[in-house]
Amino acid sequence: MAESDFEAQLTRLFAEPPSFPDAPLFNAEVAAKLDRGWAMRRLFIGGAGTVAGLFGAFQILSTRFADEIAQLSRNGGHNLEAEYSVGVAKINSVLTTPASAEAVWLAAALAVVALAFVVTRLVEEL
Amino acid sequence: MGAQSPPTGHDIELAAKAASGDRQAYGELVRRHGSAVRGLLRRLGADSATADDLAQDAFITGFEQVAEFRGEGTFAGWIKKIAARLYLKKVKREARLIFSDTIEPAEELGGRDASGDAASRIDLDDALKALSRGERLCVSLCYGADWSHAEAAEALNLPIGTVKSHVKRGLDKLRAKLARPEEGARREAHG
Repeated sequence: MAESDFEAQLTRLFAEPPSFPDAPLFNAEVAAKLDRGWAMRRLFIGGAGTVAGLFGAFQILSTRFADEIAQLSRNGGHNLEAEYSVGVAKINSVLTTPASAEAVWLAAALAVVALAFVVTRLVEEL
Repeated sequence: MGAQSPPTGHDIELAAKAASGDRQAYGELVRRHGSAVRGLLRRLGADSATADDLAQDAFITGFEQVAEFRGEGTFAGWIKKIAARLYLKKVKREARLIFSDTIEPAEELGGRDASGDAASRIDLDDALKALSRGERLCVSLCYGADWSHAEAAEALNLPIGTVKSHVKRGLDKLRAKLARPEEGARREAHG
């Protein structure tokens, strides 16, 4: 047999897949691994979304409070009790003025959306 | 992956669907080519348990990288290359890649072909057992996984001349082994 004929025959023989009696089991195992990997990926994305949402909410809130605290320290000279009273009053004002209330509500809404996202994911996975 | 009817279509279409996250389409590719990958890994020299584990890993890796498959070659060739690379990585990691001329006993392939050419396929699997590990690896990579000599040399970290001589010796042995049944049959016909 010529070299090229033999090589063609060999390529053909290699191309013929053997049949395995446990092929359905093998396919099912690969499918299960793919599903597991997919579920992990979705959980990871869900988790990352939650963390990002909460981080954003805290950022909005902490920025507002940090500004207020900085303002308090600039207005030094008062005694601690007076500072405390003023601080409480300022925090109350932050929560009651329309713009600040808007930020608080936005942060709360973000947190609720993030929580709902996590719950949805968990329900889907379970 | 549900109890729906399996997706149909050409491998390239299924791969494109899989690239957009369709696991059912990819499951069909696994069904079509799973046995070929498992068979190749056994022919490369992996024992059956290792071959099946690596074949599963190859398909998982394939799913992650399926967007890179653009249909230049066949999907079977593409996934076999991934499987062969995983096998070589494993044997290198375990420092078991020894190119001696000693012939190591090989495991039987798991199944039997339902096609009419089953006898010749069994002959190939039997004939491969007569090759040394290096010969078997080089021949299986070049003829089973469709690697070029250069690709095999690079992956095996061998000079290309060494790969060529392994392939040459392996082919000579396979030719002798595979020719024997034909000669036997001819002798019977004349006798």
